[in-house]
Amino acid sequence: MQLATMVKGMRGRIERLPAGEIRSHFIRIGLVEGAIVSCMEKLPGGTIVLEFSRQEVALSGDLARSIEISQL
Amino acid sequence: MSDPTIQHKPHKHLRTNALPTDPLKTRIVLVGNPNVGKSVVFNYLSGLYVDVSNFPGTTVEVSKASYLHYELFDTPGIYGVSSFNDEERVARDIILNGDIILNIVDAVHLERDLFLTQQLIDMGKRVGLIVNMLDEAKRQKVAIDLERLEEELGIPVVGTIAVKKKGLEGIHELVVRASEGNQSRGLHAELHAMLATVGSQGEAVLLLEGDAIIAERHGVTAADVSRREEIYIDRRNRVNTVLQRVVTDAETGKRIASVFGRWSVNPILGFPILVLILYALYLFVGVFVAQDVVNFTENVIGRNFVEFHIKSWVAQNAATTIAVDILDARGNVTDTGTFRFADGTKADYNLWAAARDYPEGRDAEYTFTYDNPWLVLFFGEFGAVTMTLTYLLFLLMPLVLGFYFALSILEDSGYLPRLATLVDRLLRYIGLNGRAVIPLILGFGCVTMATITTRLLGSQREKTIATTILQLAIPCSAQLGVIAALLATAGITATVIYSGVIFSFLVLVGTVMNHSLPGETSPLLIDLPRMRLPQVDNVVKKTLYKTWFFMKEASPWFFIGALTVGVLQVTGALVWIMDAMEPLVVQWLQLPREAATAFVMGLVRRDFGAAGLYHLGLDPYQTVAALVTITLFVPCVASLMVMLKERGVREGMIIWVGSLVLALTIGGVVSQILI
Ligand SMILES: Nc1nc2c(ncn2[C@@H]2O[C@H](COP(=O)(O)OP(=O)(O)O)[C@@H](O)[C@H]2O)c(=O)[nH]1
Ligand SMILES: [Mg+2]
Repeated sequence: MQLATMVKGMRGRIERLPAGEIRSHFIRIGLVEGAIVSCMEKLPGGTIVLEFSRQEVALSGDLARSIEISQL
Repeated sequence: MSDPTIQHKPHKHLRTNALPTDPLKTRIVLVGNPNVGKSVVFNYLSGLYVDVSNFPGTTVEVSKASYLHYELFDTPGIYGVSSFNDEERVARDIILNGDIILNIVDAVHLERDLFLTQQLIDMGKRVGLIVNMLDEAKRQKVAIDLERLEEELGIPVVGTIAVKKKGLEGIHELVVRASEGNQSRGLHAELHAMLATVGSQGEAVLLLEGDAIIAERHGVTAADVSRREEIYIDRRNRVNTVLQRVVTDAETGKRIASVFGRWSVNPILGFPILVLILYALYLFVGVFVAQDVVNFTENVIGRNFVEFHIKSWVAQNAATTIAVDILDARGNVTDTGTFRFADGTKADYNLWAAARDYPEGRDAEYTFTYDNPWLVLFFGEFGAVTMTLTYLLFLLMPLVLGFYFALSILEDSGYLPRLATLVDRLLRYIGLNGRAVIPLILGFGCVTMATITTRLLGSQREKTIATTILQLAIPCSAQLGVIAALLATAGITATVIYSGVIFSFLVLVGTVMNHSLPGETSPLLIDLPRMRLPQVDNVVKKTLYKTWFFMKEASPWFFIGALTVGVLQVTGALVWIMDAMEPLVVQWLQLPREAATAFVMGLVRRDFGAAGLYHLGLDPYQTVAALVTITLFVPCVASLMVMLKERGVREGMIIWVGSLVLALTIGGVVSQILI
């Protein structure tokens, strides 16, 4: 499923990240395939706040739609 | 995949955009992710004399200072060394040039931060590691074995709590002990092969990681992206292995988030919180600074003291007519005394004394009219020197200080990225992402200042959209004050219509540009740091630096703007322009002829434009039409100049001419419908 479909409180494992520079950036901050993330907040319009390894990161809906996760 | 080692042409080592440095001094560079405490450490090491400058060609701030016999640099926060954005490009060059790297990491975010550390080690740099925020780590029950970390990485490590100055003394030793650490094995062999081509191991690593700019400097082709990803994944795995040996945490990965931080991005609570914060901002900047402080600085210090003394000094030896207007409590002129000095005030001391004593304690305004047009140009009513001085130092500077102060508090508390998250979706409708909220809010302070900050946006497309909206539809604080006063007289219906028209127009312009400009809005991807109480000295430093930077950038343009209008006035061109505009103003906008003056004066100072409407006796609907026109109409000359500089002459002129046409069109349509 897409990261964008997560709802508040849900946990998931990253399965696939988009290609390109953004992927390199994700690797740097530790958001790699296999990482466990939880959805801290979901705003109307799809902007999503993720928590993983003590970090909080916000991403906009279109970016969240390009990331695949599996629900835990 | 291209092999960077093979295709090397004769190459040059360009150092065009590096900061000036002293070749004899050892350079220490502070490097770290955003918000890890670099500035606190920098302030601790640097003492009093810090030289903050913008890296050539960017807005990225780099601070430089002396520390012992070293040169010390503070760099922008980065997640890794590469060329993905301006901050990274600037930091990359300073790191490549540095002799000793002090890498600061956040103990709570080691998983994220050690990636950069390992990359610096792979680059063959001499590194010392500062593990900061140990207090936070303790609170979050993260235990770190610093000795083991030192062993694993092969570089010296100190633990600190920078805000409490704990452990910072260990940094002096760290500088001496900084060393090349344990490099990733896979990379090493490949690097050796490349060292022949490029100067340093650091550049070799960046080439392997596909850095196009470094490749160009050496006239070679960079490795492609898939190689970078391999290296990055390797490095990530290595960091994770190190962490497993070094970190023990009681609760796995659960973060203690502050309640306020969570509420501020909550879909239900977030907006009320935003409204409260904006209201507080309004009370501070809009009421306290803009009214109380500026009333004092502008009138008492600026006009009645500084300007008065400059003008009287000029009048000493120049033919001058002085008019003294006596004002009542509401600012109406009740009495005027006129004094003529054909040979300057020095020649007729008694008359000058009479002019000075004329008010007899009542409120008064002095107007100096010089016979010599040059003096009028520089020191007259709209004199380029006198007016610019008052405007810049006593009206704008307090406002800009107030705004930047409030903004620095919001920034250091960690609220701004959350605000960007909250409004991201809304701004997306007009082709912007959440980050654009910062220039848009700043615009209500000063459009010129806000136009400069559009630099922080991700793409040219977003900069264009944000600049257009700022120039067109956002009234600055100087103008807002006058608009509010006029609307207060015109009544609630007029206020609603005015706000409705401006707001719909803003949305309309944004939406149209969003759909017609090529490209896409860059996605928001933003780190939400922990919320914390801002530190006073950091906030003050930031406020002062930003204000100084703004004054330096914008001041000449305000002067030039005033001079331009002054020339128009002295040469009579102003009257000519007003005559030319008359049909448009009288028939199309259905306003009195004198309103044209207001529009043209708005060019020098936006608030002059609106202020010129005070005494025209407009009815409520005329007020709406006039205010709509003047809000959309040209921004002040300074913001126009800054826009031309930021966006280029072609695009800037399109936005400017477009805003003129749109202002007159929309203003006219509103007028034709209402009246
Ligand atoms: N709790 C805690 N806060 C710190 C520590 N060091 C810095 N800070 C705070 O972290 C924030 C970011 O620090 P700053 O030096 O501006 O980080 P920079 O972005 O890396 O320059 C500031 O609000 C500091 O007061 C620390 O050791 N403990
Ligand atoms: Mg800093």
